[in-house]
Amino acid sequence: MRTHINQWLIHLMRWSHLALELLLIGILIALFIAPSAGAAMRLRERSLYMTNDEAGERSSYVLGFRYMSPVPIGSFELLFCNDPIPYNPCEVPLGLDVSDVSLTNQTGETGFVISQKSTNRLLFTRTSSLPGPDRSTYTFDNVLNPLDIEAAFAVRIKTFESNNGTGPQVDFGSVRGQVIKGIQIETQVPPMLIFCLAEQVEYNCTGTNDIYHSDMGKLSPNETLTAQSQMAVGTNATAGFVISVVGSPLSAGMEVIKSLDTPSPSKLGKNQFGINLVANNSPGIGLDPEGDWANATAAPNYGQSNMYMFKDGDIVASSPNVSLMKKFTVSYIVNVSPALRAGVYTTTINFIASGRF
Amino acid sequence: MNHLKSAALIMCAVVFAASLLFIPQQNAYAQGSAALSIVPKKTYTIEAGKTVNDTLLIRNQDKERTLNLSLRVIDFSYTDDSGAPKLMLDEGAPKTSWSLRDNIDIPETVSIEPGSSESIGMSVTIPENQGGCSLYSAIVYSSTSSEGGNVGLSASGVTLVFANIPGVCKEDLVLKRVGALNDSKNIDNGEYAYFHLDQPKRIAYTLQNNGNVAASPVGSITLRPWFGKEIVINNINPNGSLALIGQERTFVSCVKLKGETVGFNGTRAESTTCDTSGLWPGFYSVELAGYYGQNGNNTKDLVGSSWFIYMPWWAIAILVAALAFITYYVRKIVLHIRSNSSKAKLKKRK
Repeated sequence: MRTHINQWLIHLMRWSHLALELLLIGILIALFIAPSAGAAMRLRERSLYMTNDEAGERSSYVLGFRYMSPVPIGSFELLFCNDPIPYNPCEVPLGLDVSDVSLTNQTGETGFVISQKSTNRLLFTRTSSLPGPDRSTYTFDNVLNPLDIEAAFAVRIKTFESNNGTGPQVDFGSVRGQVIKGIQIETQVPPMLIFCLAEQVEYNCTGTNDIYHSDMGKLSPNETLTAQSQMAVGTNATAGFVISVVGSPLSAGMEVIKSLDTPSPSKLGKNQFGINLVANNSPGIGLDPEGDWANATAAPNYGQSNMYMFKDGDIVASSPNVSLMKKFTVSYIVNVSPALRAGVYTTTINFIASGRF
Repeated sequence: MNHLKSAALIMCAVVFAASLLFIPQQNAYAQGSAALSIVPKKTYTIEAGKTVNDTLLIRNQDKERTLNLSLRVIDFSYTDDSGAPKLMLDEGAPKTSWSLRDNIDIPETVSIEPGSSESIGMSVTIPENQGGCSLYSAIVYSSTSSEGGNVGLSASGVTLVFANIPGVCKEDLVLKRVGALNDSKNIDNGEYAYFHLDQPKRIAYTLQNNGNVAASPVGSITLRPWFGKEIVINNINPNGSLALIGQERTFVSCVKLKGETVGFNGTRAESTTCDTSGLWPGFYSVELAGYYGQNGNNTKDLVGSSWFIYMPWWAIAILVAALAFITYYVRKIVLHIRSNSSKAKLKKRK
């Protein structure tokens, strides 16, 4: 008896081993090969046209879409929310009111009336019938537009076979709307970008040392010439800022001291012009960015200690969103070869601060 | 003769002295302020044939020197897949197909007293026959550059100006990729990765804009772990960022957003950073459900999915230990069963 059981167990182990392998393969297929939960039947060619898109004003809305499922449709619901995702909670767009609208025109699938209205919900109903292939549009007047010009809002559409908006939905989809201008909400502050530049600047740009050039001294193949300047920048714009550098290498007539195209160390006896925005010890110049705010940083190519570069048009510092004031110290280095012709080598470097899109 | 010479010398001296009195002194050029505050971005919706009048607020942050600015309108494009503009500063740069250069009217120069601000008038006019759908350019404010020294410094500010023209537009955003970004010092950069040793904080999606509209998508991203509750990122574009015409733009969202109200130049501003996401080790599927569309145009879907595995070293160690434990005891059971079976067979033969 015991022998039989043991033999049975051995066979079972072989089969269970095989079953385990099959299970693992099945899981892999389900995870990596099988398509993810895709779109259910979404209404196609969805659009929303607002005849007046000014915030807080009355407008007519023309809503259009094409029915997809070959199922009789007796009603459809419009739900106005901040978020277009159907299964997310619906937050009513601030200031919006559709409780007093009237349906003034319909094309395609017609015969609908607005049977239910609330601040952010409309229910259109008719005798249930199979929709055709053409696109449908519905115009309703006297919509009170939302107030928030900073964010889009959505109209969630659901169709039903029933003629009272109950039961399972047939098709769904959302359209997007956006209002402009309108009432300035008191808590909002206009975005601003503050920027200053000089040899030395105050942290909050209230003053500078009134020196807007650097005299680097007499060029020599045996000595690295250095200089530094400072710039401070900050913004309350949610998209942040970038600072670009524009200019040409040091030159005297046709003679040019070549800029460094990639981050490179300082080398005596070679024609080099480069900058960076961090503290260095070769040579000893510069400071790391000052300020508590972590959002604003030097660009990677200009943020390496003892590595210098200068490329016209490069971004040297940026912040991806709101940034308190940050002070950057720009270090300049110049090395020259013994063969460089004598002359007065100059350049003008323009630092440009702009918003992001 | 000597009297004549003396008289001539005296007359020369008088003339010279008079010239010093009456010829105006040429002052050495005085550098103005290079500290300014400007509006970084303006967005308008303007119908063809219409004009919008607005003002630009410029503040001189310097409390001692006058801010002298020259203004001009230039075109811009994109630098990379971020929101950094590529400014076309050359005087002779050709106009882009989305240029607003000929449509923006602003003064050429402005002077602002120390510590003061000025609202300068500007207008944007869209021609009657202007087709769609997005036009944009930039206003550059340049302070006077300094003379002297080897390296002269100059500061400039830029306002990006966008005009959306209602009408039938070609809107076409193609989803190139969606997934989790690996950790990066610069929160705007990072690379997509399927396997993460560090807890991912950012989910991103990359869109290629093949239309003629600077598009701004909205929607949500859902993270579904094998075990546990799903996480929904409700706003995948909280800053209203744009994909410019022709740009492949990466939009970055935080799994968990940390908001902070900060004081900025006497005002309050809301700053957001990515907080620790709180994800447990394991496999996650990522689903993007987004939308985009201009007023009056079709709303189009952006749907995509991906996955990533988050497995820190400590979880790997636990997994290896667990597998080793299971393997050891399974092997022990198998050996025991085989040993009993062999004994049974031997007994049978006897």
